[in-house]
Amino acid sequence: MYRLGIDLGSSYTKGVLVDENNRITGFHCVKSGYNFTNASSKIISHFAEDHEIEYPVYTCGYGREQVAAAFVSNSELIALSKAVYEIYKRPCSIIDIGGQDTKFISMNAQGQVDKFKMNRKCAAGTGSFLEEIAFRLDVTPEEFTEFARQATEEVKINSFCTVFAISEIIGMIKNGATLPNIIIGIYNSIIQRSVEMSVVEGHLVITGGLPAKHPTIVSLFAKKYPDSSSPEHSQFLAAYGCVLLNRTSYIVHRTL
Amino acid sequence: MEKLLNMSEPIIQEKSELVKLQSAGELRKTMDGYFSRLREAAETGVRKVAWCTSVGPAELLYSMGFEVYFPENHGAMLGAGKNADKYIPSAVAHGYSPEICSYLTSDIGAFLQNETPLQKSGFKSVPKPDVLVYNTNQCREVADWFGFYARHFNVPILGIHTPLCIPELTPEIIKTVADQYRNIIPSLEQVAGRKFDMDLFRQAVALSHDGCVLWKEILGKAKHRPSPINFFDSAIHMGPIVVMRGTQYAVDYYKVLLAELDQRIQDGISAVPHEKHRIYWEGMPLWYKLSSMAKLFSKFNTSIVASTYCNSWVFDDLDPADPFESSALAYCKLFIVRSDAVKEDILQQLMIDFSVDGIIYHESKTCTRNSNNLFGLQNRLFKKTRLPFIEINGDLNDPRCFSEEQSIIAIETFIHQLSGR
Repeated sequence: MYRLGIDLGSSYTKGVLVDENNRITGFHCVKSGYNFTNASSKIISHFAEDHEIEYPVYTCGYGREQVAAAFVSNSELIALSKAVYEIYKRPCSIIDIGGQDTKFISMNAQGQVDKFKMNRKCAAGTGSFLEEIAFRLDVTPEEFTEFARQATEEVKINSFCTVFAISEIIGMIKNGATLPNIIIGIYNSIIQRSVEMSVVEGHLVITGGLPAKHPTIVSLFAKKYPDSSSPEHSQFLAAYGCVLLNRTSYIVHRTL
Repeated sequence: MEKLLNMSEPIIQEKSELVKLQSAGELRKTMDGYFSRLREAAETGVRKVAWCTSVGPAELLYSMGFEVYFPENHGAMLGAGKNADKYIPSAVAHGYSPEICSYLTSDIGAFLQNETPLQKSGFKSVPKPDVLVYNTNQCREVADWFGFYARHFNVPILGIHTPLCIPELTPEIIKTVADQYRNIIPSLEQVAGRKFDMDLFRQAVALSHDGCVLWKEILGKAKHRPSPINFFDSAIHMGPIVVMRGTQYAVDYYKVLLAELDQRIQDGISAVPHEKHRIYWEGMPLWYKLSSMAKLFSKFNTSIVASTYCNSWVFDDLDPADPFESSALAYCKLFIVRSDAVKEDILQQLMIDFSVDGIIYHESKTCTRNSNNLFGLQNRLFKKTRLPFIEINGDLNDPRCFSEEQSIIAIETFIHQLSGR
C-alpha cells in the first residue's frame, strides 16, 4: 500500500507517492487550471494505475479541500516544514517561492514553525511574476537559465508591479541593456522580495516551483547566503510533508 | 460522511458554532432610538445636528442639546453592508486617493451617489449638519473628511488638534487640549442658539464616564476562561459607546449586556463553544468579513478575547468634577495617539490580563494609524512576550485590499502553530 500526498497549488498540483518506509517512490505534476478536483483526480489516476493507494490521501494548498476522494487536509506551511525537517533535522529558515505565494518560515530545532510570513497582497516576486515576464519576452524557463549564464552584469529592476516591471524592462532593452543582464536583474529582484520578508537565520532552505524550474535562482541565493541549499524536487516537499504530518496530527477527515 | 481522526483533541470543528448574545435585541432598540432621535432632529429642526468624530468631544455636544451624528459609524455601516467598494470609486474620481482612509472614501462616495444605509431607517439622506466637530487625536484624515462636508453644506467646522505619538501626558499637553475644548464653545453656542451650561456638561461627562466604565467591565469579562464574549461581538455591541457616549442610553444598554455576560459566566456559556486558543486582534476589523471571520475562528476553537480597537472606547479618566481637563486627559490617553513605547507597555499588559496565546496584526491598507505593525512594534513585543504573531494584509472597508484565501491559510497555519506549543 502507498500513501499519496497532493499539494493543490494556485498554478500546479503536485503529487508524491510514499511507501510504507516514508520513502518517496513517485512524483507527478499537472497544471491546476480552474478545476482543482480534476487536477487532483489526474494525480490520483496517474498513481492508481500501477499502485495500490491507501485512502485518505493527504492534501494541502489552495485547493486542499477540492478533492474527489477521501482526504485529510493541512496547511502547506506546516507540511512543508515537516518535510524540510525530515531532510535536515535542524533549525532552518525556509523560503518557498510558488505560483502566487512566497513564504518565509523560521523553523525551530524541533521542526516546529516558530514564525512565518507570506507575501503581501501583490504577487510580484512569485512564479506568476516570472511567468508573465517570460510570456511577454517570449522566453522559456530553459532559455531564461541559458541567458542567465551569459550575463556580464546585473541590471536592477525597481518596479514592484509585474505590469510596470515589464514596461521597465522594455524601456531598458530600448536603452541598450542586454537580455542576459536583465534576466539576472529579474532573478535578483525575486530574491530581494523574498529575503525582505524576515531575517534569515541559520541554514537557508529554498523550495518551491520557481527555484526548481530556475536553478540559477538557487545559485544566486547561495552567493548571498553561502549556508543555503535547495533539495531536489523541492516543489514536491509540501505534498510529501502532508503524508508525514498526518501520521501524528489531529485533522478533519472528510469524504466528498 | 464526515468524521474526525484522533478525536482526542481536534484542531478544527467541522461546523462553526456561534453563540449569539441575547442582548442583541436590546442593542437594536437602543440604536433604533438613537437614529430615530437623529432623524427627527434632521427633519423637523427641533434640535440642531452636530457631526462628530468617533473620539471627538461628544459629551460637550450632547450637553449643548445637539443630536450627534458620527460619520465613522456610517463608514463602518457601509463596510459591514459590503457596499464600500461600490462607493469608493466615486470619491476616487473626485480626487480622493484610494490609499487614504476607506471610511472617508466610502462615506463621501456614498454621499456623492446619494445613497446611505440609513435610507432603510426612513432617512432621505444622511442628516444635514449644523456644525462639524472633529478631534485629530485619531488621524488627520478626519479634518479633511469633515472639510468636504463643511464646504458642501456651508456650515462651520471646528477642530481640536491633539499632539500625536504622545510619550508622556504632560500638564502642558492637557492644558493645550483642554483650552481647545473651551475655545470652541462660543462657536457652538452660536450654532446651538443657547448658552453653554457647566452643570449639563458635568452631567454628560459623568454619564460618559459611567458608560465607559461599564464598557470596560464588559470587555474585561473576556478575561474569564472560556470567554463569554469575543471581538466579533464587541465590534457590534460597541455601537452605543461610540455614538451615545455621554447619554443615559449607553449606560442603560451596557447594564443589560453586562448582566448577560455575568449570567453566561455563571452558566458556563462561552462565545466560542470549544475555546482552546485565545487571541488578541491588533488593528481595525475587516468590516465586510466580520461574520465569516467569526465563523472561521470558531471553527478553529479560537476566541479573539481582546482587541486594540474595542478597548479604545474606554475613557474612564473622565471626571465631572474637572470636566475640561479630564476630557483632555481621557482623549489624549487614547491608544492611537500614544508613542510606540507606551503602546508596547499597554499591549504587553493586555496579553497578561487576557491570557493571550498569540496576536494577529491586521495591517489595514488605508488606515496606517490603526496598523501597529509598521514600525517594528510586533518584533519588539515578541521579544518581550514570546507570543507568536501573524500579520494579515487587508483593509477596514475596502475588500479589494484583502486576499481572503491567502489570509485563511495564514490563520490556519497560525492556529496549528499555537496547537503545537
